[in-house]
Amino acid sequence: MTELSSLPRTDAAEKKPLASSRRGDALRKASVAIGCVTLFVVFSVLNTTFYQPSNLIDIMLQSSINAVIAVGMTLVIMTKGIDLSVGSVVGLSSMVAADMLSHGLLVGVGAGLLVGLICGLLNGLLIAKVKLPDFIVTLGTLSIYRGAALIYTDGQPIYGLSKEFRAIFAGRLLDIPTPVLLALAVAALAFLLVRYTALGEQIIAIGGNEEAARLSGVNVERVKVTVYTISGVLSSLAGFVLIARIGAAEPIGGSGFELQAIGSAVIGGASLFGGVGNPLGSLIGALTLGALQNGLTLMNVPSFWQYVASGAVVILAVFADQWTRKRG
Amino acid sequence: MLKAFSQAEDGESRPPALRMTGIAKRFAGVQALKGVDLDLRGGEVHALLGENGAGKSTLMKVMFGIVQPDQGEIALDPLGVVRIDGPRSALAMGIGLVSQELSLVPQLDVAQNIFLGRTRGLKLVPRADFRREARAILDDLAPHLDIATPVSALGMADRQLVEISRTLARGGRIIAFDEPTSSLTPAEQDSLFGVIRRLKAAGKAIVYISHRMKEIRAIADHVTILRDGEVVASGPIGDYSEARLNELIAGRELSREMSAEKPAQVQTNALLELRGLSSSRVRDVNLSIKAGEIVGLSGLVGSGRSAILRACFGIDEVSAGEIVVAGAPVTPGTPADAMRAGIALIPEDRRGHAIVPMMDVERNFGLGNHDRFTSLGVIKGSERRRSVKRYVDELHVRPASISTEMRNLSGGNQQKVVIARWLATGARVFLFDEPTRGIDVGAKAEIYALLRRLAADGAALLVVSSELPELLLICHRIGIVSGGRLHTIVANDAALTEERLIELAAREDNS
Repeated sequence: MTELSSLPRTDAAEKKPLASSRRGDALRKASVAIGCVTLFVVFSVLNTTFYQPSNLIDIMLQSSINAVIAVGMTLVIMTKGIDLSVGSVVGLSSMVAADMLSHGLLVGVGAGLLVGLICGLLNGLLIAKVKLPDFIVTLGTLSIYRGAALIYTDGQPIYGLSKEFRAIFAGRLLDIPTPVLLALAVAALAFLLVRYTALGEQIIAIGGNEEAARLSGVNVERVKVTVYTISGVLSSLAGFVLIARIGAAEPIGGSGFELQAIGSAVIGGASLFGGVGNPLGSLIGALTLGALQNGLTLMNVPSFWQYVASGAVVILAVFADQWTRKRG
Repeated sequence: MLKAFSQAEDGESRPPALRMTGIAKRFAGVQALKGVDLDLRGGEVHALLGENGAGKSTLMKVMFGIVQPDQGEIALDPLGVVRIDGPRSALAMGIGLVSQELSLVPQLDVAQNIFLGRTRGLKLVPRADFRREARAILDDLAPHLDIATPVSALGMADRQLVEISRTLARGGRIIAFDEPTSSLTPAEQDSLFGVIRRLKAAGKAIVYISHRMKEIRAIADHVTILRDGEVVASGPIGDYSEARLNELIAGRELSREMSAEKPAQVQTNALLELRGLSSSRVRDVNLSIKAGEIVGLSGLVGSGRSAILRACFGIDEVSAGEIVVAGAPVTPGTPADAMRAGIALIPEDRRGHAIVPMMDVERNFGLGNHDRFTSLGVIKGSERRRSVKRYVDELHVRPASISTEMRNLSGGNQQKVVIARWLATGARVFLFDEPTRGIDVGAKAEIYALLRRLAADGAALLVVSSELPELLLICHRIGIVSGGRLHTIVANDAALTEERLIELAAREDNS
């Protein structure tokens, strides 16, 4: 290493803004928790069923599918990208898995994961290598993957999933629903990835300044392909939970999941401007959306209105993101 | 009566066109301006000097209505005290700002840009009138510009002229220039100075912000120096020597690092060799740099100076020739290849190309160093922290904290972190593109000393700079680039002067 200790010391230009950015970050992090807690308090006051342990477990169970997808979405959003095809990947991979389960558990699961991997890889290659806009690529594959799911069985659902499969993806372990454990594990792993690995840092760097990352020797294309592939694989995992809970695979399964996942990521503190995000936050984001739907159902709000409410909350979260960013 | 009296008293025949009094502004915990007074007079070029963060740009934003002051007032000559609540009202009052980021719409043509924002709602755009008026303004200012050219087809200098015309079309009387020459060639700078002098002769009040002392000397009548949000000196430019101005800006006596100190001893082995290097923008470049040597590249913006660096670093595709590092041909295809070959590029646009502003110092340092500080993809945190702390100490990065977000560092300190990153990759060949661009006078000296240290430690340095004094200060040899070719390389001996370099460059242009 070069010895540079003999350099002259200048103390000029030390005065520079210090605390301003920290405050923005703190605000951003706090707003997730405050929003979630407020929601729980409000619903608990309005309806006494809401805070019963069994209902809280229900909320977690209902949020788990979305949470798993949202974690992958978070990684994509952190690179300043977007993956609109997740819902269709859920549909296609779960159809293939359900079909292949007749050849055995491992074959079914393996085939489903492989489909998710290929779907994500294709998205990633088109975006990173061919350099097409992420929004258009995944909007296109949203339609392609859904079409493939419908073509696969000519639009027919697949019934009769094996017992072990349902036990693994919709059973209970130590009295906790396995989908909840799966979501927790996925979020925790992703958190460790972001926090402690080179890949995680490169994801943040690409979202923060893609050109600087490239000129610092980061293989931007490979990182992007990796995050879209992860998103695809996690979508197929979420698909397993979906069909295991229902007991059948439908080609239209997973429709509209993209909004829920993007919403959870943003509520959880991920910024659509890239470079900022936390998989554990997205887990909380998914719980918040789940609690919202659960609470509205308990209060007998028609499901049509729940769509309106979910959409409004997502827009509100993006607004909050813009706002804290400006202030930070 | 009263007016005549006050004029007689201060001996000034002209009242200030714009007077700012006690302007104060606080941003989230930082007092950016602490009661600044500034008088701008018609027919006068007023230079505003100060280090980055001294408050110059904030003051200009207050004047242009982008930032609202917490205290203080702005008075215009005939109007009295006014409230400027946005660029729209600033323009309406005849105040214009030509900043580094121009606010033009590239897809629209010159005339459309000049009159952008002048019609609202469903009103028809009086296109013919606008065109006539735009032509009239341009005839005066820039007769070579065609009003129907889309702005995207114009160079930086012409875009500035469009921006100035826009201000004039609104009846502008006060025009501020924020570092207008930072991306202009010497010829374009001269022509901009011509424009500014004409504006001055027409009675406009001009504010001129620049880091370059020579320009200030050449163009300004009056100078105001800001430091830490306060005016530390203000008066006619003739009252201040260059050394005195530098002292006032930095707030202390400049150390002797600014003065020429004998460059490092050059070793005998060639570390970087370019053999017939060609890309889409450069042709047949041959150059050999020895260990311990600093070679400068001079030339106009767009001459291919930076393109030589880009080809060496695997950004631009090399179409012919080769790049040899320490005897081994490397010719990188990507920046990652270049990094592995021991080549480092420290780009001109630090914010856009070198740093991730939201990430902290440690992670910015780590960006190019993931191979070194990870095992199986997991970052070895404590080892990396130890390493980055050592660099922060040795390069005197301030604040000396590795968890500060990069955006909160000054330009000079950001530059040191970028250099530290490359030192840690084990780079031996350093390509610097405008190494002190946007860096304060005080920090410049540190960067120069750092460059000399790198050379003394046996690295090879290739430095592109638009500032001839900078090249003369640090380089062993200086090459002149024009039209994508490296023509002449001259030894930087006692006989070499700025004038001689300009003469050589002009000769290449004419040949």
